[in-house]
Amino acid sequence: MNPDGSLARLEDVHKWFGADLYVLRAIDLAVAPGEVLVVIGPSGSGKSTLLRTINMLEEPTEGRVLFDGVDLTDIRTDLDRARAEIGIVFQQFNLFPHMTALRNITMALEKVLGLDRGEARERALENLRQVGLEERAGSYPGRLSGGQQQRVAIARALAMRPKLMLFDEVTSALDPELVKEVLDVMQRLATEGMTMVIVTHEMAFAREVGSRLLFMDHGRIVEEGRPREVFADPQQERTRQFLAQVL
Amino acid sequence: MAVAQEGASGGERQRPDRGPRWFVGEQTPLSTLTAVTGGAALAVLVAGSIAVLTIHGWTPSEQLAEGITSDAQRAVLMATIALGVLAAGLGMRFRRMPTRPSREASISGAVLGLQAIALAGLYLWFRAGDVETFARNFFEFQLVGEYLPRFARAALNTLILALSGEALGIALGLVLGVFVLSDRRVVRAPARAYINFFRGTPLLWQLSFFFFGIALGLRLNLGPFEVAILVLALNAGAYSAEIFRAGIQSIERSQFEAARSLGLSHFRALRLVILPQAIRRVIPPLTNEFVILIKDTSLVAVLGLTLSQQELMATGRDIFSQTFNATPFLISAAGYLAVTLPMIRFVTWLERRLRSGLTGIGA
Repeated sequence: MNPDGSLARLEDVHKWFGADLYVLRAIDLAVAPGEVLVVIGPSGSGKSTLLRTINMLEEPTEGRVLFDGVDLTDIRTDLDRARAEIGIVFQQFNLFPHMTALRNITMALEKVLGLDRGEARERALENLRQVGLEERAGSYPGRLSGGQQQRVAIARALAMRPKLMLFDEVTSALDPELVKEVLDVMQRLATEGMTMVIVTHEMAFAREVGSRLLFMDHGRIVEEGRPREVFADPQQERTRQFLAQVL
Repeated sequence: MAVAQEGASGGERQRPDRGPRWFVGEQTPLSTLTAVTGGAALAVLVAGSIAVLTIHGWTPSEQLAEGITSDAQRAVLMATIALGVLAAGLGMRFRRMPTRPSREASISGAVLGLQAIALAGLYLWFRAGDVETFARNFFEFQLVGEYLPRFARAALNTLILALSGEALGIALGLVLGVFVLSDRRVVRAPARAYINFFRGTPLLWQLSFFFFGIALGLRLNLGPFEVAILVLALNAGAYSAEIFRAGIQSIERSQFEAARSLGLSHFRALRLVILPQAIRRVIPPLTNEFVILIKDTSLVAVLGLTLSQQELMATGRDIFSQTFNATPFLISAAGYLAVTLPMIRFVTWLERRLRSGLTGIGA
């Protein structure tokens, strides 16, 4: 935990891509333990970049990123250790296509956490069971549907027993009938008390599951609050426009 | 994966037969005649020529030359051309054919006829020249039996050169390919310089320079065969480095990000996630590279190999200078083809397999 009681914290974070693409502008954000933070906003608003900054897949051009009492922007910090404690699930699943579902999960358990093969296998199977895919343990990702692949990807992240889970538009690449199976897994995680940051276009899900909502536009946090309240009565004109278009 | 359900609606039927039996059944008399005539033109040319030449005898070369210039061979060629012209003429009516199979058969028959005419024409042109001299120089097949053991040894040497060069080259190329993609210029620049040098100078120059220059000049106690393997490896290393570089770059960046976000270090992400996928993808181009290397081993002949070290090209040349007969070069060519043709087919097969994505590799 950070000194202020948050688990993850961005302090005055700015990010440029190249010389003139200014994607994050003065972001200050604290994620409390147990919180389910949902980030919405139009495409290009910087929400994915914000999420990827939390585990330093994107390095901020300026500002600090703190996770669990450690400054990740300090070059002396062992980023690999911090990343092992932050799970992330991507829009395109990003499973390793040359490994079975099981091996996708056990690989990092063995190589990063140092579990022996038996322990890793047991834990991986347990996590596959949680997402309802134990019987597909031996399948290669190419043989799984999008929804199944995404559930394996979630199991892979969860098996590391992370303190924080990041979800980057995880249902956007799925066929409509496969969205629910993935959202169900995330909803259960939320009720179990996992700390989560979720970038999503699923507004109903954001309202039901989020404990806090962030609306971003042009690299800034425009509005934040309890999801039901923001949806019912947005305070900013920009938020109102956006919600009118997507709801 | 979702499986399509059997349609419950009516009108279901068996998948129609579209095999060879159906194809033959769809022919008209004219299309059948065209296809048969075209095939016959080629068959007469090949079978007739073999029969004539066998009757005259393949060795010695005087007999062969006599067979080539004989009236019987002339008759075979004329018959071929007649059949070919007939097939081509009949095939011109392909537009009138009622079905697609009969149209296809007409076109194929005409094409076969034209191919037979072209081959027979080449043969006619060839036999109008000094066949006897040509046959004496290139078709002296008794020499084959005599020198076959030497060629067997030569083929083995060619394979040793190519395989050891390629094996060392791949190991070197993998390291260079990774170096050349480094974010650090001090790592990247030397690797790039090495690759460009070895890709930018002729292999013949490299072999000469290393053997006559470096090995002799520095009194490295290395024979031509060892130098040859070394230089082939250095050269193959540069080319396979480029192949590995392209292979690594073809793996989506998101794979690397996924690996890093699990806490794997840069090096481990490369070794466990990126390289295994990249290596699967570069097997076809690496095999192509190997085929090229097999042929490039022929340049080693300039280094003056001892008798037991000679590969296919040097052996052919050596026997040529002893016998003043060029037939051994044909045997060299046959030796190269015996190795390269299966490799080329292997690449085609592998590429199709990778493309189909059924293997879980390269998906």
